[in-house]
Amino acid sequence: MTDVAIVGVGCTGFKSVSPEVSYKELMFEAATRAYQDAGNINPRKDIDAFISVAEDYWEGFSIFDEFVPDQLGAVLRQLFTVSGDSIIGLGNAHMLIKTGHFDVVAVESHGKPSDILTLYDIVSFAMDPVFNRPLGGHPFYLAGLEMNRFLFETGNTKEDCAMVAVKNRDNALRNPYAAYGARIDLNDVFCSSPHFYPLNKFDISQPADGGIVIVLASDEVASDLNDCPIWIRGVGWASETPSLESRCFGEAVYAQLSAEMAYKEAKITSPSREIDFAEVDDLFSYKELQHMEAMRLCEVGEAGRLIAEGVTGIDGDLPINTSGGNLGMGWALEASGMQRLLEVVIQLRGDAGERQLADVEVGLAQSWRGIPTATGGTAVLSNC
Amino acid sequence: MSTEKIKDARRMVHWPGHMETDYIYTLGIAGEKFFTEMKNSGRIFAAKCKRCGFIYLPPRIYCERCFEKLTEWINVGTKGEVFTYTVAYVDVDSSKLKEPTIYAYIKFDGAHGGLIHKLGEVKHEDVQIGMPVEAVFKPLAERKANINDIKYFKPV
Ligand SMILES: [Zn+2]
Repeated sequence: MTDVAIVGVGCTGFKSVSPEVSYKELMFEAATRAYQDAGNINPRKDIDAFISVAEDYWEGFSIFDEFVPDQLGAVLRQLFTVSGDSIIGLGNAHMLIKTGHFDVVAVESHGKPSDILTLYDIVSFAMDPVFNRPLGGHPFYLAGLEMNRFLFETGNTKEDCAMVAVKNRDNALRNPYAAYGARIDLNDVFCSSPHFYPLNKFDISQPADGGIVIVLASDEVASDLNDCPIWIRGVGWASETPSLESRCFGEAVYAQLSAEMAYKEAKITSPSREIDFAEVDDLFSYKELQHMEAMRLCEVGEAGRLIAEGVTGIDGDLPINTSGGNLGMGWALEASGMQRLLEVVIQLRGDAGERQLADVEVGLAQSWRGIPTATGGTAVLSNC
Repeated sequence: MSTEKIKDARRMVHWPGHMETDYIYTLGIAGEKFFTEMKNSGRIFAAKCKRCGFIYLPPRIYCERCFEKLTEWINVGTKGEVFTYTVAYVDVDSSKLKEPTIYAYIKFDGAHGGLIHKLGEVKHEDVQIGMPVEAVFKPLAERKANINDIKYFKPV
């Protein structure tokens, strides 16, 4: 069966605002960088199919996918949009190549939340219109509900979560793509205003603009396009019930199921031993811990101890979110998961500069579609 | 990513857009049952799957676990317990709320699900996971067959 590798990545970098460019220009920049990185391919003839990851309401369009082809070099070509999340987009590209019908596929994702004047109203529109939306309020209260139950069930603490908020912003200082690098301490997190108990302001990722394009290729052509192809060993995705009232709240079942699907394909049985480092969704600080436990990177109830002991720090045995995560790089809507994937590729290539990890061969990238969803994706990648 | 970029921030222009959409969200068979019973009699109904025994609150006409059609309605009373809660200090426009809102996911006795709603008649520092609560309904004349016919849940 065909193996699939990532042979090109392009990123605009992330910023709190980007008034100097349109969303199309943002995508054009990410695509140009990715095609250059993939052996300077010409998308008009060298790319067989394109996938964009986008959502109408984020963009302010009906049928946004119709507005995608030109800035990617995909006019009159095979293109479709995945609504969901960028690692789910990756999974689709992976499958396209495995069919044998496509050798080179590009996946695009971006976020330009600074264009959305009522960002959290848009999030509210994702909630059930009959049972949930009429209660009103800021939709992130759902994260407060989830965090409270997660801490209650696992014994992890608010302090453990605050450590995630500190660590990831600190890591982001070493990442030139990150929008929100900062040196803060636990007290800063505790003293930041309470937003949705037990979540404080600094436990929550801030919106950021930016785009990422990646180019995937079959093993037939991968080595021609890049000297250091990064192999996709497994991809998975899963959705829990949309009904908030049927979810378990404490656990991230979508992360568990998507990871197990990816592990099966990658033939990984003991993820905490076989995976060298991971990028996991941390849109809210507790999510990093919850996702680690769901994906068996540690035991349930153990994630807090690992961060307290520095195991998940950049110098630890299982570094998590060396990029800065979403807390450090920013919440870039559909590009949030692609940020995680990008960092795994950069680390496995050895291109991470002052945040480079030594001797890494297998990395994991995981994404969550955000409030109020229970959908996510997982990818396992390796450089050999 | 262009040879020429805007260098004078005062020159940047934008077009202010506004997306207006109006909908009616059809309640459906299960929603009609749930909201009309709540409005008319202050009763809360769930739906039971005959095959797996799962009791859905809010009710539906299908089981998400076995894909079985559900036909049995069950009155689950008006009491439950706080499965998890949060205190919201910030409104949807990110402004600070004058009074924090307590939201909770209330699991009902006799059902597998529950309702997300607000808590009232309680200080937020007194709320606990596991706390028994009951629904407080609006007066009959003010009910409109929607989720806000329940004003909030209060400690029992
Ligand atoms: Zn059933």
